Amino acid sequence: MRKGSIWRIVALLMALTMVAAACGSDSDDTTTTTAAAAATTTTTSGPAATTTTAAASTPCVASIGIMGPFTGDAAFIGQVQLNWAKYAVELFNGDMGSNITLIEFDTMIDPAQGAILAPQAVDDSDIVGVIGPAGSQVVNAVGPIFDPAQMAFISPSSTEVGLAEKYDFLFRNVPLDDVQGPTSAAYMVAQGAQKVFVIDDQTSYSTGLAGTIQSELETAGVTVETDSVVQDATDFSALVSTIPDDTDFVYLPWQIASNGEILGNQLAEQGKDITIFGSDGMDSADFNIAGSVVAAFAPDLAAIPDSADLLAGYLAQYDETNTFGPVAFAATKVLLEAVDRVCQAGGIDSGDATATRALVAAEVALTDQSADETILRAPLSFTSIGELDGGAYFISEIQPDGSYLVVG
Amino acid sequence: MEFFLQQTVNGLTLGSVYALLALGYSMVYGILKLLNFAHGEVYMFGAFAGYGVLTVLGGASSPVVPVWLLITLMFAGAIVVSSAIGVALERFAYRPLREAPRIAPLISAIGASFFLQAAALLMFGSRSRSYSTPTLVDFSTSIPFGPIRVWMVRVLVIVTAVVLMVLLTLWVSRTRTGKAVRAVSFDREAAAMMGIDVDKVIVVTFLIGSALAGVAGVMVGLVFGRIFHLMGFFAGLKAFTAAVVGGIGSIPGAMLGGLLIGLAEAYSTGYIGALYQNLIVFGILIVVLLVRPRGLLGRPELVKV
Repeated sequence: MRKGSIWRIVALLMALTMVAAACGSDSDDTTTTTAAAAATTTTTSGPAATTTTAAASTPCVASIGIMGPFTGDAAFIGQVQLNWAKYAVELFNGDMGSNITLIEFDTMIDPAQGAILAPQAVDDSDIVGVIGPAGSQVVNAVGPIFDPAQMAFISPSSTEVGLAEKYDFLFRNVPLDDVQGPTSAAYMVAQGAQKVFVIDDQTSYSTGLAGTIQSELETAGVTVETDSVVQDATDFSALVSTIPDDTDFVYLPWQIASNGEILGNQLAEQGKDITIFGSDGMDSADFNIAGSVVAAFAPDLAAIPDSADLLAGYLAQYDETNTFGPVAFAATKVLLEAVDRVCQAGGIDSGDATATRALVAAEVALTDQSADETILRAPLSFTSIGELDGGAYFISEIQPDGSYLVVG
Repeated sequence: MEFFLQQTVNGLTLGSVYALLALGYSMVYGILKLLNFAHGEVYMFGAFAGYGVLTVLGGASSPVVPVWLLITLMFAGAIVVSSAIGVALERFAYRPLREAPRIAPLISAIGASFFLQAAALLMFGSRSRSYSTPTLVDFSTSIPFGPIRVWMVRVLVIVTAVVLMVLLTLWVSRTRTGKAVRAVSFDREAAAMMGIDVDKVIVVTFLIGSALAGVAGVMVGLVFGRIFHLMGFFAGLKAFTAAVVGGIGSIPGAMLGGLLIGLAEAYSTGYIGALYQNLIVFGILIVVLLVRPRGLLGRPELVKV
């Protein structure tokens, strides 16, 4: 066989292998990503109204932004948030006869990326409010940019305590780490934990939550050991070796759920029968170790009969959901209704974006939805500083078939 | 004792990967005096190639061939892909710049690294993939090592790395092509005058170095599970450190450097803390450069005056 023929065969084999790798997916892989790593913006418009129930007297034309990790290892958060936000915009435009456009900003849960994208959102005078960003570290990056622009930003997934005190225009519709920490600690104590090993991943979200957990557990008389990793790490075997065999729980306040899967496997490899307790950042199909426990700031939507139609409508269009999605839907609905109220009052002024944004923010602050009006069937309003009024965390155990059983 | 042995196994596993990667850096530097910064991306593509083979052959949960054959084919697929990328890099990114000032191929190498990262992102997306190795080889499949048990996959990684390093050493010292590689690394011009096809030797060097990187990529996927498009960056950095610590241009030095860096990471995590890992590894690099700039096994460079 000639040399040229051999190289052609090799090239063909290479191409086939790469195609297989690109197409291949674990049972745990979810949506495919489409955006490149560089900062990108794409525009998603809500469809024109096809059904009307309570159409507004004046069709509202405006844009809102959504910031989240649509690509990257935290895409399991961002993709679902994006899809539920799109769904919310589509329903709202259909019901109200409005034409509100959703503009996407992919942060990859990277503060540096957020700091690049936030000015782009501010410079777009059509954008009157933002859903997101996800991740407390990204909130810290965009807050100093959104506040001067008086841009309301409603984060459906940042839980670090104290952020709303720092940023006047931040709103959050999720309970914070000062709720997650005590709830999680109380669960571990109730399970009889004597020793817990806490490993943070050095993000502000993680270190804050780790600190809260440690404090709560030590107050309850539990021995706590701690260590830290970085999000880019892929091998935890040396760290796992340092975890005492008699540890009851390994607590992981991590944002990269697949890292939790690696650590869990390495615990099993070294014969350590220790339960992993993941924070809400680990609430993902990428972390699927049976017997592990995960906290979530929202219940499983499938367990809420009154929201069954909404869920069915969503799943008819999109492949997957998780607890991050409905919370993003709720945040989007809050912003849409605020924008619409400003619209109806004639407050949308395309020539003065700052003034319009301030009006929208003021309306967001006045949000007072009853349980019947929200997807999670719990009232939704904000405190004077923009935090969710009320809210609770849910503890679930991962079952052998991958489903979640609420245990606390 | 048990703890020390466990960390030693952890360190040898990681060190094996670094050693295979560092060999590629050292071989290319020895031949061309070029730091191939795209080497980490060659390793990354090898990992994805292995994943591609795994997917085609049924995945970890239902492979259509025996496990031993599956893993062998994964290594083979990675070798083919990584070698081809390495050879292509040499042909298109480095060869045209061989006579240019040394900064030019260095910049080309950095550019090639980013090019390959971006290509991987477009091809595979940014979500990580998992080999799901525990489904393929259960954790109970292990061998005793003193008071601890070592998972068979780690044994495979360490043994494979050792075998490959021995084979490479024999190839370099005993074969005609290996001698040619040594001759070219010693003096390229003189080697050409002696009738050695320098271009061919350089291609073979890239091919072998890249093949080893591909094998390392599959090893990482098997042991640690997670592969993603940016995995080559930090691994490449650590392997480069290993090559420098061992003596850049020295094949035994690359092996020693890789194992030392792997063990340093494991022991520092075990006895000090996980966050000190990088501090200690790069601290070792600085100390070695200050005390013995040519590396532990590097030979001093002779310059005619």
